[in-house]
Amino acid sequence: MKFKAVVTEDGVSLLDRRFLPALEKMGKICHLFLTRDHAFFLHNLITTADGIQSIAQFRKQALFDDYRISSQNEDRIAFAFDISLLLRAVRSSVSIISGEFGIANRLQVKLVKKLPPNSTQPMPFLTFETKGYKSAVIQDVPISKPLSRAELLQLQAALDAAQDLPPTLVQVPDSNRLQNFVDRMKHVGDLLNVSISKYGDLHLQISTTLITLGAEFRKLLVVGDKAQAPSEDRDLSAQTRSGRAILMGDAQSVQVSVRHFSKSLQCHLAKPDCAFYGIAPQGACLTVIFQFFIPGTRQTDKSISLHCRLPVLDPGSS
Amino acid sequence: MSSSATETDTSDLVCQLDNVQGIVDALSTVRWKRHQDAVVELSEHGIVLIVEETGCLQAKVYLQKELFIRYEYTAQGRPRFGLSLGLFVDCLNTFSVPGHSSSIEIQYPGPDMQLLIKSADSLDDCIYAEIRTRIPETISWDYNFEPAGSTPLSFTVKSAVLKEAIDDLEWPGSSIQIILKPVPPSVTFRGEGHGDLQIDLMYYANTDLLIAFHCDHEVSYRYKYKFLRATTSNVPSNVIKDNRGSKLTIGRGGMLKVQHLVSVARPSTSHQHIDSAGYQQPSRIAYIEFFVKPEEDEDTVND
Repeated sequence: MKFKAVVTEDGVSLLDRRFLPALEKMGKICHLFLTRDHAFFLHNLITTADGIQSIAQFRKQALFDDYRISSQNEDRIAFAFDISLLLRAVRSSVSIISGEFGIANRLQVKLVKKLPPNSTQPMPFLTFETKGYKSAVIQDVPISKPLSRAELLQLQAALDAAQDLPPTLVQVPDSNRLQNFVDRMKHVGDLLNVSISKYGDLHLQISTTLITLGAEFRKLLVVGDKAQAPSEDRDLSAQTRSGRAILMGDAQSVQVSVRHFSKSLQCHLAKPDCAFYGIAPQGACLTVIFQFFIPGTRQTDKSISLHCRLPVLDPGSS
Repeated sequence: MSSSATETDTSDLVCQLDNVQGIVDALSTVRWKRHQDAVVELSEHGIVLIVEETGCLQAKVYLQKELFIRYEYTAQGRPRFGLSLGLFVDCLNTFSVPGHSSSIEIQYPGPDMQLLIKSADSLDDCIYAEIRTRIPETISWDYNFEPAGSTPLSFTVKSAVLKEAIDDLEWPGSSIQIILKPVPPSVTFRGEGHGDLQIDLMYYANTDLLIAFHCDHEVSYRYKYKFLRATTSNVPSNVIKDNRGSKLTIGRGGMLKVQHLVSVARPSTSHQHIDSAGYQQPSRIAYIEFFVKPEEDEDTVND
């Protein structure tokens, strides 16, 4: 089992300034899954069923140069690691690279087995080696034992299952404002009802015995199945409106944890260009898809993708 | 957006407000614990919110109708209802957008006697809330504040100074004595417990500290530290930064009244209005009053 690559300058900035800070918010432990062409950072895919799943996918060229991988599992390797340690290693490498007039500096990453101090058992590490003009710094990030063939297949199956697209997606209006709102909403209750209609309405509501607090965003951009909003809807309250849309089969509603929803908004640290919410068929989960554009254009950058799946606490009505 | 004409017709009160954060600040000031019940009283003059700690401490927030951009009161008598203060504050807080002056509409009662709140900013986005109200518990009215004599016993001190003094007294803790002396005109806070700490505010020594002082004879009363602390500990930091004066008055029987002013003016955007008047419109102030009963065992000078 071998893995060795050079992290490109773009790759470093993608990881250091955008993805790792965002993914760190999703959870401490993350799986890195490397294949011949892709690198995936995965949260909660095979561990807990009640956590928020996040899937960040990079084409190898988006992060690496000189990418070499080989293993007996069709050249696939996966292991778990503490994301804050990886972030620290990348950060300090950045400071070395930028401190020494870049260019010739190379950040090499490889999988190694080493004997840690005071131990007789060799342990796996992801090693970052920064070669500067005058110095070389090596950082070892401890990782889990690489996944066995069975575990790897399980991870691959979970990953394949997590790729389904909701039939209707609505574009999140102003994510900062939404984040701010949801963060304050957290004080009022724990369970959030999310309903999404084909008309482009996103309706969030917390309801407890003492209070009902909700927000409705209308006329959002819809991707996928859409429908014309009935004209008599205009003068109704948000609750009545979404209730009617659900009855007519034009909307779906699920209940998720407010904390998960707020976490999913934290993905904005990865600086996506836009974000869409949608409910998977049969209300299996609430999916949020982040879209990245090729810098300077409005074309989707297909080499990077990020999406989260929020577990549904109650199947709700569909 | 949801209210139809009929709903509005049957409401005791429909009012609109353009500075949610100001109201959140005012209400937060009297929130001294997480779960706290409040009684709200509506009248043609405005809204009064009252909170109480069994028999020792009471606080009132006065939101006069001048704070609202619309205030339509149609009730007979003065409707009163109970609600959870914490929930009310947390809920109002979700309507407040940093950097914007968010506008909301408050309506009471809803079809199920709820307090209804909704954002009134945009047509395509809306935030709404319905808070369940309760039949109010009876408020003990023995907080009727009466002046101690012909001249009031009072002093006005910068809010930040008052807060700092009371925070410092945490160390001796338990019971705090407040002494007002006409000669030399001064206010003394004295704490005795794990140690002794005395804080003197001299009227003539520093006019920045004590803004006003009225006292014709020496008085001294003891108050429980935790109640005294409740009068300043929850004043939001931006209100402390405004550093208006807080007025403390000692009434008959040693009842202490602490008054704070919280600005509910529209944030910065309307600078020219403030400048042209030279100061912020006085009508855009929420008044907050705390009443603290003195400790019973008196061994000090009384009136």
